[in-house]
This record gives sequence, structure tokens and C-alpha cells, in this order.
Amino acid sequence: MTEFLQALILGLLIGGVYALLASGLTLIFGVMNVINIAHGAFLILAAFITWSLWRETGMDPLLAIVAVTPVMFAFGWLLYNATIRPIRRAPPAASVLLTFGLALFLEGIMGVIWGNTSHSVRPGYADERFQIGELFLPKAQVYGGLVAIVVLASLYLVLTRSWLGRAIRASAVNPQGAELVGVNVASVAALTFAIGVASSGAGGAIASVLYPFLPGSHYQWIARLLGIIVLGGMGSLPGAVIGALCLGVAELMTVTYVGPEWATGVPYVFVFIVLLLRPQGILGTRLRQDVATA
Amino acid sequence: MHKLRWLVLALLTIAVLAVAGCGDDDDSGGGGGGGGASGEPIKVGASLPLTGEFSEPGKAAQQGYKVWEAMVNDSGGLIDGRPVKMVIKDDQSNQNTIVADYNALISRDKVDLLLGTFSSLLNLPASAVAERNRMLFVEPAGGAPELFDRGFKMLFFAQQATADKQGEVWANYVTQLPENERPKTAAYPTLDDPFAQPTSEGIEEIFSKAGIKTVYRETYTIDNPNYDGIASAIKARNPDVVVHGATFEDGVGMVRALRKSGFTPKMLYQTTAPSLGDQYSKAIGKQTTEGIFYAVSHSKEASTPGNEEFVAKYQEMFGGDEVPEDAADAYATAEVLQAAVKGVGTIERNRQLELADWLRENEVDTILGPLTWDELGRPEGEFLVGQWQSGVPEIVLPKEAATSDKIIPEWRPDGGG
Repeated sequence: MTEFLQALILGLLIGGVYALLASGLTLIFGVMNVINIAHGAFLILAAFITWSLWRETGMDPLLAIVAVTPVMFAFGWLLYNATIRPIRRAPPAASVLLTFGLALFLEGIMGVIWGNTSHSVRPGYADERFQIGELFLPKAQVYGGLVAIVVLASLYLVLTRSWLGRAIRASAVNPQGAELVGVNVASVAALTFAIGVASSGAGGAIASVLYPFLPGSHYQWIARLLGIIVLGGMGSLPGAVIGALCLGVAELMTVTYVGPEWATGVPYVFVFIVLLLRPQGILGTRLRQDVATA
Repeated sequence: MHKLRWLVLALLTIAVLAVAGCGDDDDSGGGGGGGGASGEPIKVGASLPLTGEFSEPGKAAQQGYKVWEAMVNDSGGLIDGRPVKMVIKDDQSNQNTIVADYNALISRDKVDLLLGTFSSLLNLPASAVAERNRMLFVEPAGGAPELFDRGFKMLFFAQQATADKQGEVWANYVTQLPENERPKTAAYPTLDDPFAQPTSEGIEEIFSKAGIKTVYRETYTIDNPNYDGIASAIKARNPDVVVHGATFEDGVGMVRALRKSGFTPKMLYQTTAPSLGDQYSKAIGKQTTEGIFYAVSHSKEASTPGNEEFVAKYQEMFGGDEVPEDAADAYATAEVLQAAVKGVGTIERNRQLELADWLRENEVDTILGPLTWDELGRPEGEFLVGQWQSGVPEIVLPKEAATSDKIIPEWRPDGGG
């Protein structure tokens, strides 16, 4: 029983972090129909910036989120205008190719700047834990999960309660209609992309504490994150949270009861089952293809 | 907005060109510069993982080859006074690229001799290219037993033993401990890797024969970062000793996960990761390293022939106090090639089988100690056992090669003792 509860707790904690990492990806897809393969590379870039801040200034990596997020926001906005905007009208496959190219490009740049060696961010609490009876809660995961909740809640409030959020959702559902009521869809798209990339600032900072990373680490993340948003329903933020928690728990249960070598296959099994039984994902909605223009 | 787009594109282009400029690392341009050798250079080709997953050991191996190139040229060349020119390609840690690279080295660059690459994963296909072309292939870091199951005639591994024997000296030390100090149970988390896995299996075999019970054996893949789950499962089984078949990132991840779980086994042995010096101690914390065991092929303090000169030249060329094990292994590999060439007195393509036969029949003195091989190119020696002590990696076994006069009996991540 202890082993089961321990796996459940670790799974939920890591699921919370996965949710944060996947939120930007699902946001960008939901509004722009862009499958951003470079999202993993953005995470690793944020992790490297966090590492530099921690190394040079001694800043706590979770505090560094405050600095890294605006940097990633600006980076996302510039990147959107330089690369994604020109292909907005092209089929989705073009965005997959483009963002894959961006991921490779970023991997190379990170290799030149930080080197192709493994990096770890180790604040004082990195290897500590909270002990509750026989169960342990790694402090870094707990803090990471809390930050994930705060960031995701803020993101959710912005999307549901602010004018910008309504404009983002309107642009996602019906771009022409949004234009008609005065929403500048192009600007909203740029902002959405930038927000999506900014969220990877927080995610990357947390990931840098939890896992060692090097420029090529983005490959292992993108497969898992795509699995999460397919499971939750592509484009749905609450769906991404549910998908991430399911994946986190499923991975830990697999590691504990089946064997760690099978954990790698869990995201793919999820994608397979979802595509077979509920192609729109847990919280995704079916679009009427006859009127949808995206 | 258009202006901005062009500005960003221009900046990106400049960045790409800058990266391309920095990354152009192919031909080493002769190196050495000692002026001791003259005549047409002998081209020695290798492809190394200079970028990608194995870039860190790949770059260290490149340094080792460069040190050898410089030292050979300083001392009058490899044969007939001819200097050596290394031709090094980057295989990007990719099994397909490395095949193309070695084919290109042989047919396009027309190198006279080959040297191997880093890791069993890449040496596996690379050695097949060399074998097909009947060229001698001595390699610095491919100890997986399956490399030598193919009956190749041209393949030689230039370390003390293959992976399945890597942990032998340490495992024998553990099984010969007094009854009350000997562990009773062991856990074997292992990366799915042609080097890490056989090492851990080799140790398990010795432990099982000595009555040390296996309570956990699981394999994980490199793209699975759920070390917390593995640590939690190990904790639940409470083994006396954890033998971890690791590379680097997962080695660090597992130690940190064990720390987070609050479980400290009496003994901890890891493959590869602890031999990476400073990088390892920085990643897990200096204090955490105390007492961790590992196998290692080279010590910079060893009194093996030529080691002092190698260490001095390495530090002259690349600075720093540390000498990466992978650089030393690469240097030793080149020493083996050099010994064969000098022994037979040829670099001709169609006589390379003679070089291989010479290695099968002779012992070669290297900075790793004397090396000999069996019919299939498997080395027949013993690895050194390393242990982290007071934040410094020391050699503790065998006694005659030890750099420290004590062995810390257990893992002490919280200090003490």
C-alpha cells in the first residue's frame, strides 16, 4: 500500500510539472493550429538561462522564473514575427517542418553557448524531501508542482477573465468573426505564441532543477508533451492538466509495477488509445469541418 | 513589421554563419608543430561524436588523439620519419552518420590508418566498415561483449577488459569482505546500453555465486527521467548494495533520486558517471560523492610507461588539472596502433591484416598498463577500481596501482565516518 501511495504521490507531483511544460504547446496549437515541435527546445533554452542565472548570481532557480519568463516572452514574440507569421496561411505540415528546423537550430546554438555537456541546477533543497510517515515528497517536485499550479491558474484566469483571453479564445474559435468584432487576430496570434513560449520559461526553470539536461534533451520532452496534449484534447488547457496528471501517474505506476523500461512507451500507448477511442481527446471538442476554416 | 522580420532574419543568418565557423572542426591541420618529423604526412582517420549525446567523451577522445599526434610528430614521426596528420570527422553521435564517415575516410580522404570512436553503440557499425575494408580498427571505448561476437579479425579494444569484466575486481573485493561486512542483498538498476548492462550483469553473476541475493533488477531507457520512481522501488526493497549500470545523466539522476528518497544503501557502485571527475562532483554535490565506487581505466598518477609525458603534454595543450579518462583511452588506442605499425614496419592498406596478427601475438605497453588480446581482439587485463574520497577520485584497487592507502567501506553522502 505504501508503495502504491508513494507512486501515486510522485506521479501527481511530476504530472503537475508536466502540465506546466505542456500548457504552452496546447495554447499555441489551440489558437494558431501550429504544432510547435520546438517547444522542447524552448524548455531547454529556458533551463540553460536559469542555469546561467543560478551559476552567476546564485539566484534561486524558482525565483529565476520571474526573470526568465519575460526573456522567453520577448524571444517568442520575435521568433513568431520572423518565422511563423510568413507561413500562417500554409498547411499545418509547414509549421511542423519549420518548428522542427527551429528546434535543431536552437540545439546547435545552445551547444555553442553552453557546450554539449550535461548541466544540473542544484539549489540547497534539490535533494531534500518532506517526510510524511513512510512517504517522501521530494521538495523540488513539491515546489515545482506549486509553481505549476500558480502559473497554470494565472494562465487560466487570463484566458477566461481578461479581454486578451477572450480575444485569444475568439481567434481560436472563429478568426473571421473575431476580426469582425474588432480583434486584431494577427497581433493576438503573436501574443499567444509569445505567451506559450513564456510558459516554457517557467517550465524550463523547474525542469532544470528536476533533471540534468543538455542541448539534445529536447527530443525526450517533445514526444511526452505531444502525448499529453493529444490525451487531454489538443488546444484545451484543462485537458492538458488532466492529460499530464494521468501521464505522470501512469508512468510512475508503470515504473513501480511493470518495469521502468516500459515507462518510455506510456505516452505512445496513450496517443494510440486516444486516437482509437476518442480522437478529440478527453476535453477536446469536435470541430464542424464544414464551417471551420482553420 | 517587415523591417523587423528582415532584421531578425539577418541576425539569425549571422548567428548561423558564426556557428558554422565555430563548428568547422574537421581536419586538424597537422597539429604538433614540433618539427621533429618531415616528409609526406601519414593520414590517420577517425570519426568521433563531437556533437550530440556523446559529445563530452567524444571531445575528450579528440583531445587524446591530438596529444598523440603532437607527441609522435615531436619525436620524429610514426614511420620512416613521416609525420602524422589526424583527419577527424563529427558523427553527431549518430549510428548512420558514423558509417558514412568511415566510408568517406577510407574512400574519399584515403586515410592510411584508422582509429576507433567512442562508445560501443558507435563502434559497433564503425568496426564493420573497417572489417569490410580490411583495415585495422583499434578502438578506445567499445567494450560491449557483442562487438567481439562477430568473429572480426581487425577489431581490437584498447582498454583492460570488456564490459562484462569491468566490475570484476570490485565484485571480488566485495565478496571477499569479512562475513559481517559483506552485503547480503543487492539491487541492479541498469540503463539499456550495450556497455552498462553487461557490466552490471557481470557483477551480479559474481555476487550471486557468493550468495548475495538480487532483490531488484530493472532496465530503463535513456529517455525515461523517472528516477524517483526507480529510487522509490529500490528503497522499498532495502538492498545493502546498489550496482548502477549508468552513463552520465542517468548516473547523476539516480544518485539525486536516492538522496531525495532518503535511502542510502551501504555501498554504491556506478559505471561511467563517477569517472567523469569534476563534472560528476558538481552535478551531485562534492559531499555526496564520498565512498562511491566505480571502474576506471586510467589514473594520471599511474607509473605506467609514458604516462607522465602524456599527462604533461595534455595539460600543456588543454590546460586544467584534470585529465579525462576518455582522452587517456584515446591516447592509449593510438599507442597500440603505433606499436603495431612499428612492429610490422608498414602502413600499406593491403598489409593491415599483418598489423592485426602482430597485435594478437604481442604485448603492448600503454599508459593504461600492458595490454594483450585474444583471437577476437578482446583485452585480457583487469580494470582499476576507483573510489571518491574527500571530493577526489582515487584508485583503490588493485593495491599496486592504488593512489590511496584506504578504502572507505560504505557510501557516506552525509559525511561522517
